[in-house]
Formats: sequence, C-alpha cells, structure tokens
Amino acid sequence: MRAVALLLAVIACNTMDRGPREHAAGHVTPIDGGTLHYATKDSVRTLDPAIEFDEVSSYAVHALFDTLVDYAPAVRGDLASGHDLVPHLAARYEVSPDGLTYHFWLRDGVTFSDGTPVVAADFAFAFDRVLAMPASPFAAFLDDVVGARDVTAGRARRCAGITTPAPNELVIELARPNMAFLSVLTMSFATPLRPGPSDDERQHTALGTGPFVLASWDQGRRLILERNPRYWDAAAIHLDRLELTENVPRDTQFLMFERGELDAAERLSSPDYQWIMDRPDWAPYVQHRTVMNAFGSRMNVTRPPFDDRRVRQALNYAVDKDHELKLLDGAAVAAHGILPPGMFGRDDTLRPYPHDPAKARALLAEAGYPLGLDLDYVIMNDGEAARLAESLKSDLAEVGVRVRITTLSFATYVTAIGERGGPAFSKSSQLADFADPVDFLDVRFASTSIHDENSNNDSFYSNPELDRLLAAARAEPDRAARAAMYRRAERILYDDAPWIWEYHQDLTEVTQPYVAGYAIHPIWLRDFSRAWLDR
Amino acid sequence: MIVKRIAWTVVVVWFAITATFVMTTAIPANPARALLGPHSTPEAIQRIEAYYCLDRGIAGRYACYVGNIVRGDLGESYRSKRPVATIIAEHVWPTAQLALAAIVLQLLVGVPLGVIAAIRRNRWQDHGANVLALLGQSAPTFVIGTLAMYLLAYRFGWFPIGGYGVGLWSRLHHLVLPAATLAAVGIAYYARVVRSEMIDVLDQDFIRTARAKGLPERDVVVKHALRNALGPLVTLVGLDLGVLLGGAVVTEYIFAWPGLGREVLQAVLEVDLPLILGVVLVAAIAIAVANLLADLAYVWLDPRLRDRS
Repeated sequence: MRAVALLLAVIACNTMDRGPREHAAGHVTPIDGGTLHYATKDSVRTLDPAIEFDEVSSYAVHALFDTLVDYAPAVRGDLASGHDLVPHLAARYEVSPDGLTYHFWLRDGVTFSDGTPVVAADFAFAFDRVLAMPASPFAAFLDDVVGARDVTAGRARRCAGITTPAPNELVIELARPNMAFLSVLTMSFATPLRPGPSDDERQHTALGTGPFVLASWDQGRRLILERNPRYWDAAAIHLDRLELTENVPRDTQFLMFERGELDAAERLSSPDYQWIMDRPDWAPYVQHRTVMNAFGSRMNVTRPPFDDRRVRQALNYAVDKDHELKLLDGAAVAAHGILPPGMFGRDDTLRPYPHDPAKARALLAEAGYPLGLDLDYVIMNDGEAARLAESLKSDLAEVGVRVRITTLSFATYVTAIGERGGPAFSKSSQLADFADPVDFLDVRFASTSIHDENSNNDSFYSNPELDRLLAAARAEPDRAARAAMYRRAERILYDDAPWIWEYHQDLTEVTQPYVAGYAIHPIWLRDFSRAWLDR
Repeated sequence: MIVKRIAWTVVVVWFAITATFVMTTAIPANPARALLGPHSTPEAIQRIEAYYCLDRGIAGRYACYVGNIVRGDLGESYRSKRPVATIIAEHVWPTAQLALAAIVLQLLVGVPLGVIAAIRRNRWQDHGANVLALLGQSAPTFVIGTLAMYLLAYRFGWFPIGGYGVGLWSRLHHLVLPAATLAAVGIAYYARVVRSEMIDVLDQDFIRTARAKGLPERDVVVKHALRNALGPLVTLVGLDLGVLLGGAVVTEYIFAWPGLGREVLQAVLEVDLPLILGVVLVAAIAIAVANLLADLAYVWLDPRLRDRS
C-alpha cells in the first residue's frame, strides 16, 4: 500500500516540463549532416516504383527515385507553392503543337547511385515494365501512349510509342492529346530503371537516381536512407541520413516526439493537436497545409431519390460544413466541389453550399418529400469517418431525412460502391495521384468512367455537356482556355451536386524547433529530402 | 499414439484453412478493386483477377489456394506483391519472442503468487493476490498497455516508448513493457489456477503424511504439493503459447511491435486472402503443435499416465 501511495506521490509531484527540449541554433545557411528521425503509422510495403501506390511507401520511393519532371519544392506558408512542374532528370522538353509528341533531353551527368550513367533506354525499359506487369496499377495512366495497349495485352514487348533517338533523348508519342500527361510523368513509376534485377529483388532493393540511397531496411520495422553522393543536385541535400520507423500509432509517435526520439510527428490526434496549438512554445513548429484531396458523400444519381437534383441540392444545404471542420480540429477547408484549393482550374469564386435547413426542407418538399425520407449511408470503418457520419446524420435529421449508417471494411466498401446496384449513398473521397483536374473530374464524373462494376464514376453521373467539356479540356493546349473549361465544369457539378461537397483535409505535422527547410508538400506530403538540422 | 495425434493435427490444420477460405468467400469484396484503387480499368481488373485466380468459381479458387499450399507455396500478398512465406517469416520471430517472454513472465510471477495465496489462505497475502488477479484479468490490454507506456516509458523514461530495438540488450529493453502487458491476463489467471489446485492438493492425505513424517514445510509445498498442482498449468501453457504465437494484435499495435498480429489485422481489413490464409495456417500449426507438446509433457509429468500408455 505504502509503495502505491509513494508512486502516486511521485507522479503528482513530477510536473513535467513539456516544452521543446532543444531549440534551433540559429544558423542562417543550411548545415550539412545529421540524421532526421520520423515514423509512420503503417509499413513501407515495397520499394518497387512500378508497384508503390500507398502514401507510406511513397516516402521511401520518392527519396530513392527521380522522374523526368517533378513538382517544385514546397515553401512554408505559400499555399501556391509545390504545384508547378519543373524539369528534373530532363534538362528540357518540347511538346509538339498538336500535343501528341513529347521530346525530352536528359540532364548531363546523371548517374544511378552505383555510378553507371542513365540513358533514355532506362526510361523506356521502366515504362515497358509497368505496361507488361499484371500487378502494376499504373498501366492505365499510360493508356494514351501509342502502342501501350499492345504491351498490356501481351501482343508486343516494347511500346511502339516510346523511342530513344539518342542515348540522352526520349520521345513519347500519344495516340490522342492529353494535357495532363506531363503531370502523369511526375509519378514515381516514370523513373529510369536498369534491366537486371528480378521483380522480387526490386521489392526490397533500390538502384535509383534519387537524393538518397537505401542503407538498410528491416522490413516492417525501420528503413534507413543515406545521402546519395552522386546525386545530380547534391547541393540541395543536407541530411546524411533519414531514419523512418514503421508501424508506430500516432499517439505513440507524439509521445516519442515529445521525448525527443522523433524529429517530426504527423496528423496529431485531436487532444494532442488542441494541446500543442495552445502552447506558445510549440505552436510555431506546427504546420498544416491542404493537400490534394476531396471528401464528400456521393450519391448514385440514377436511383431514386437521388435521381432528382433538388434532393441532392437539399442534402448539400442540409449539411453543416462548419461543424464538420470543427470535428476535424479546423484542419480542413469547406468544399464547393471536388477540385482542392491550389489545383489548376479550380473556380475559387464559388462558395460552398451554405448551411440552410429551411431551404433544404423547401427543396425536399418541392421534390415530393414533404415528410422527409429514409436513407442508408455507407462508410468505411475508421474512427474519423464514423464521427463525421454521425454529424451528417444529425444534420440531415434536422430536415427530416432519417439516415441509417452501415460500416464496411475497406475492401468491401470499395467493391460495393463501384457497383451500379450497390449502396446508393456513401462517404467518398478522392486523393490525387498528380496535380491535374483530369485526376479528379475525368476519373469521377466522366461518362467514360462508368462501368456496371468497379465504376470509378461511382455516382453514375452522366452529362453530355460535361463530357464534351472534359474531353475538350483534356486536349486544349492553351492553359488559360483550359482552366476556363474546368471552371465551367466545376459550376455544372456544383449545380447538379452528384456529391454532397464537404471538405478538403489538411495534413498537420509538428517538427522539433531545429528542423529547418521542411514544408509539407501538397503532393509528396512528408518530403524531408531537403530538410536540414539547425543544431 | 503420437502418429495418430500428428494425423489429427494435419486434419485440424486443413479444417482451419478450409473454414477460413469459406468465410472469406462470403465477404462481398473484390480484392482486385481494392488493389487498383480509383484508377482501375475493366481490363486492369480482369488482368489482376486472372493473375490471382479470382476469375474462377469458388471450387476453382479453393483448388488454386490449396494446390499452392500443398506445393509449399503460400502465394503472394495482394497488397505488397511479396511472397506470403517471406512476410510471415519476417514477423513470426518478433511474435515468438513476445509470446515466449510473456509465457515466462506468466510462470515466474503467476505461479509464486498462486502458491503464496494458497498457503496464506484468507490472509492479507491471499486477498492481495486476489485483487491483483482481478485487476489483471478484468482490465483490458489496451488500458494496461497504455498506462504502462505512459507511466513507465513516457513519464519515468525507464523503457522505450515503442519499437523493436537493435541488438540483444536494446531488444530485451524494448521487450519488457509489451511482454508484461501481454502477460498481465495470464499472470492473473495462472495465479488463480495454481491457488485453487494448491488448496486441493494441500488438503490431501499424502501432504498430511509428508508433514507427519517431519518434512520441512518448504519441501512439503514445493516438492510435494506444487509438483502435483502443476498438471493443469502445463495444458494452459500449451494452449497459451499456441494462441500467442498467432500474434497479439492489440499489444503489438500499441507498442509498435512488428509481429504477426498487426499484419493479419491489416490483411483482414484489405481482404488480402493469401496473407490471411498463410497466417491462419501458421497459427493453426502453432496451436496444434503446442497442444501436442503439452499433452506429451502432461504424460511425462504424471507417471500414472505414462505407465498406462
């Protein structure tokens, strides 16, 4: 008993100082050296750029492999930064006036991390490999390339549309213009690879051109990257090592961060986030930034009651977005459509549907539901989705719509909502693979994305006017004209409301005071490759 | 007898795989869709389905899976595209370390606690042990684990907060909290079992004889009573070891311990059938083998059973 009392007394007296343990040394120019420690909630699944499709694996793959073009680095506080495409492994490129031929000249002196020079054929090999691999999810992105379908169908081994007129020149021919194609080439699968290693070896080894090389990987536990001494832009890289600990729950990450065992902690849980934002000694080191995503509730517009636009609009008026933002700790912005803030072509003059229960009730009555209606709503099993669904349920109850929530596992959920006869009303989201409206609008709302099963357009929304607009925008070389078309498309979708447009979520991250040169990237999210330690 | 038991073990393992397979067919999820994300084309989905035998009927898929297992190939994880055998091999050793450490702790703490409670029956030592057992058995793992982490790792800094550690000393240091968390329930349970067995044994004639012939009390308790009270515990250890080798989901999750439990949780959520079946196979074998060993140990401990067989 006495021991327990003593223990309690020790705990009571031990008021910890929970401020930063180490402050920045105050250097103005970046200092080379040091190891940055961070952790992720899930595991790195693969290092093969032809397979990698999840956020955590992309942290490793993006640091190990480079592409022809990339997004500019993010700058803290500048929400427009990180979206523009810049030449990367390509010193320059030209696109033919018809938008069908892409000609790249490779940067001089780029080598793989073992010192062998990179040639254009290494890119061609990587593309052919993606097309021929049944398990690669990326073949669909190269669908516009001449001859790509012959390789996926096994009729050819080399893609006819990809040629290498000289060792440092790569030419890609498209069958139809696609103004998003350069953005597609920022994805990690478009990295040069040298033939040789088996598919299995590529899962856990990496011979790339990126700023870091693989030092060791104890799979599921810890991945260590070291600076690539042969990197073509070596002056931009300062850290000696990046050490990533896998599978650490977020609460645990935050405890480790406070103890100084980690240099950064991401997506803090609600109490931790509230606490840290209230601390003047910590708040300056918390970043949050809208990244390329959209969340909402999608409706199957071919099935009653969602076949009536007034019902869909009513639900948009009924949902209180401000309350949803509160549930997300304010780390989100209300949406008026699917294109996230910062995205090219987004109509920033559109305002989200206001919270107007009276108008919602009037629209429902007009549509023939004066007594309200009963709806089933499907979500995936995670805590955040459940919290938001409860909020939506009480908002809709206020206008007479009674909602029953069904929770499904991830795999069941994605299968079910892609079926024409599946659940008609569900939580939905779109996360960017590349920063172009094609990745949002064409994928989710074009008629060509409708299938009876596995439909990417899972609201089964079909509008000839929108289809024409999206097809024209995809092929429009003039950037301003193209942006104007997407703004029109956004207005059509805003009015037709195939989703309840809800919010775009931020990524939040806190770093130790001495972590410098790091900003959350809108596409690559946690990219520490250019960070340095001011200690 | 052993041959018969091994044959039964094979049947049990086969049944476990088949039952798991049947359950997964009931899930209305298409793994190909989950795999490809929002960029799937119908062609890409067909390719994936053909690649993983998903385009066949239930019988065809079953033949595909079982055929591969019989050939010693556990298949390839849908999600990471890596061989299931490799994934399991990477995670089974951390789980085994955790399981063994937990069992050792359960025995080292639970048995003495039970013995003390029995010989000090209805005194404060007995009541104290009872309260501890009640706490250990009724507090959920996530409460014990989180509290232990908060106090012993975060506040006092005696142990690492989470992770696996590199090198023997660091590994042991990382192992203490998760193993203790996992062992809490077992310690409580073992203490109660040992207490009640000891109470039964201590009332028997041969104990009275031992005392009457003047043996020191310590010898009476340890050599005569405890040895006879341990029988049921052997079976319990066998069962526990088997179950723990299948992975301890909650403990592994809280302490970021890279074991099988975490992997299987993720696999279930993603309907990663080859990985689920692989882990079920390993867990079924572990449970069956541990039970077999427990039965053999039981026979070895009890001369009456040994003579009969």
